[in-house]
Amino acid sequence: MPTARRSARLLLLLAAAVVLLSLLPAEAQEAAKGEAAYRNFPLLGSRLAVWAVAQLHLNFAAFILGVPIFAVIIEAVGWRTGDARYDWLSHELVKLTFAAFSTTALLGALLLFLFVGYYPRFWAYMTSVFFPTYWIYALLFFLETFTVYLWYYGWDWLSGSRKWIHVGLGVLSNLFGTAILFVANSWVTFMISPAGVDEAGKLTGGVWAAITNFTWMPINIHRLIANIVFGGTICAAYAAFRFLAAKTDEERARYDWMGYIGNFIALAAFIVLPFAGYWLGREIYAFNQTMGITMMGGFMSWLWIIQAILIGILFLGSNYYLWLGMERIPGSERYRKYVPPMLIILVIGFMVWATPRSMVVTLDEARAMGGTHHPLLGFFGVMSAKNTVVNLMILTTFLSFILYRRANRVSTKPWVKTGMAVQWAAFAAAAVVVVFYGVYGYFVESIVRIGFSVYQVIAVLAAIALVMAVDIPMFKGARTTGQIRWGTIAPRSQYVLILLAVTFTWLMGLMGFARSGIRQHWHVYGILRDTSPEAVTPALGYASNVITVVTIVFFALVMFIFWLGGLADRGKAGAHGHAPAPVIAGGSDPRR
Amino acid sequence: MRVPIAVKVGLFSVLVMGGYTYFANSIPQIESKPPQELSLEGGNVTPAQLIKAGDEIYKTKGTCEICHRIGQKGTRAPDLGGVGARAAKAKPGMTAKAYLIESLINPNAHIVEGYPPIMPAVDKPPIALNRSEVWALTAFLESLGGNVDVTLNDIPATVGAGGAGGTAAAAELKMPGDPKLGKAVYMGKGTCLACHKAGDIPGTPVGPDLSQIAKIQTPDYIMRKILDPKGMGTVANYPAGVMPQDFGTRLTSKEYVDLMAFLLTLK
Repeated sequence: MPTARRSARLLLLLAAAVVLLSLLPAEAQEAAKGEAAYRNFPLLGSRLAVWAVAQLHLNFAAFILGVPIFAVIIEAVGWRTGDARYDWLSHELVKLTFAAFSTTALLGALLLFLFVGYYPRFWAYMTSVFFPTYWIYALLFFLETFTVYLWYYGWDWLSGSRKWIHVGLGVLSNLFGTAILFVANSWVTFMISPAGVDEAGKLTGGVWAAITNFTWMPINIHRLIANIVFGGTICAAYAAFRFLAAKTDEERARYDWMGYIGNFIALAAFIVLPFAGYWLGREIYAFNQTMGITMMGGFMSWLWIIQAILIGILFLGSNYYLWLGMERIPGSERYRKYVPPMLIILVIGFMVWATPRSMVVTLDEARAMGGTHHPLLGFFGVMSAKNTVVNLMILTTFLSFILYRRANRVSTKPWVKTGMAVQWAAFAAAAVVVVFYGVYGYFVESIVRIGFSVYQVIAVLAAIALVMAVDIPMFKGARTTGQIRWGTIAPRSQYVLILLAVTFTWLMGLMGFARSGIRQHWHVYGILRDTSPEAVTPALGYASNVITVVTIVFFALVMFIFWLGGLADRGKAGAHGHAPAPVIAGGSDPRR
Repeated sequence: MRVPIAVKVGLFSVLVMGGYTYFANSIPQIESKPPQELSLEGGNVTPAQLIKAGDEIYKTKGTCEICHRIGQKGTRAPDLGGVGARAAKAKPGMTAKAYLIESLINPNAHIVEGYPPIMPAVDKPPIALNRSEVWALTAFLESLGGNVDVTLNDIPATVGAGGAGGTAAAAELKMPGDPKLGKAVYMGKGTCLACHKAGDIPGTPVGPDLSQIAKIQTPDYIMRKILDPKGMGTVANYPAGVMPQDFGTRLTSKEYVDLMAFLLTLK
């Protein structure tokens, strides 16, 4: 009997399992019939899940797309000059990228699953417009992956006389990477400024028209430059960490140099980043005035104050690092007198840029002031003042760099006085143009004032180009006042590099929120409305909490991945035949 | 005890981000909420209620305050103080309400001198006011120095065709269904009368009065609202989540089409 009972129980269980299994397809079909527009991600909610994964994916993607751009340039410099340090550095940089490659792809796949699973109607719509681009994206991804693999693993194989092939592979991988960025940007920019579709959202002008929407090219350029800045700051922070943990002077010198290069790259790209931002802003206004005004003067207006503070910290930090770096350069003493005035300009610029147009005040205070605009500070809260100071800060930072560059060099050219006069005149002329249009902006309508920023930008860029055009020949073959003492920089400078990396990463998160938030309750602005219960665009406090948590996760992942990447080298130091870790301390080439 | 570099760097980074987060939490916290749909009780509202509703739209869903001020000259858009009186004299032979309605739905038709043509049509996405809302907004603007005489019939039937969902739909739609059978669905299987009044059919005022729903809303909106009430949002001042979500599966296709045919007779 017990056996029969057991058999019956087993049979019942089997039957139940068969019924359950047969119900699954029926359930799936029912679900398909209902075709929910949204599903709820457990605990976190769908929006937060997408937000966190998207931000992480973008951080990693920015890193793996930005670093190879300057890694290949550094490799090319090493190839042409025969300086092994550059080849070693380039390999180190690509090694870091390589370690982060698969994590980026995994996060991308996870993001896709989240869209398909939790925002099925939105994703179905995007697919109806962009389906052909999915294939291009996949193809480019394969091409980039194989090229990067070949680039990394072929470092030793394609050395010597075949180095040009290796550098070519680096260039090719960058082209594929940039193309991937452009394809992905077409999706995200279409959501902001849809084009090529009718009012019902149906594709009318072909997929190319949808791709080439108002914000596509500005965001392409903005992200391309920002990726280089981001890559530079992360590499510099990595070098800073290694510097602080270094056991020997050689190691300290090597990572001091690497940190300097990382920061130099970040700074060089960072100087032009605001200009790309202006262009993006103008295109947003050109697409839709309401969107532009909401972005700058609506519920997001305070976001730009936070942005100003972060960028101010980046400017101050970058300059401070250069000034600390000059202390390890013999001969730099003659330029120290310039530091206090530069600091004053930067601090005043920072304060003006961070001045809000409307003050947070009590009712009594508002009555006393006659409104929320402060009678004096209110003048500094408008775009005329902010555009002026940011351009002056860029000029000042560029001056810092020029002084650092010539710290241990004395030009031997007979025309040095003329050259210097031309350079100072270029700085002065740019500053005059910037200040003139800044003041003039107070006396014209806003529509005219917007155009003034273009003149200010052109003046600054022209000054930078002219000063460099004079500087390079003027200091070619210059007399040296001593070699750079790599590795002797103050340890606090390394914390500045970490500060820059953390700040820039946080800033990226904030700008991602701005880009996404200006759509407000629209998945695709004006075309596909967000009807989910989470359609509210959160306030800055909530957004900053999310950004901070995701940034902490990002850095934790980066440290883990870099640690993993470094495992392969443990116990076989110097085993790389392509370029041994160079000895740099005190042996730097003064021409640099 | 020597603190490891990783801990020092980690603490430093968290401190930096903590500072940014603290600052971001200490400044004004403004959320951007999706606008609610307004339905004006089957069109039976007093002028005072209409003006109040229009004032609300002016400040919220209409996003008018981004550029316009009342009693203060703006750099982007004209002062709307006294616009109700000015509109009556703006174009010879044109009434104030006609001028205002056209300015709202076709802003480039009347550009005030000295201002750029940047105003979007308020009945198109992303603002996408429905017919009721354009009516209320016009009444509010008329009240700024003028007489409020706009009626729902003054608002063109095509207004709001953009739809709240952001998808365009034809303004005039002939349903193949039978309105009589649809009325039976309304009163029977659909149980609509449990919450809505519709002309001579009495109903508990749990949901909005549908007596003039075909005049106030587009067919596209009504169809979507029946199939996806939650997704289309809740009409202002009514409880959320009351309308059943299962009409798409509870009604047959024919019953759904008949019901729509009946609702489109409610003008």
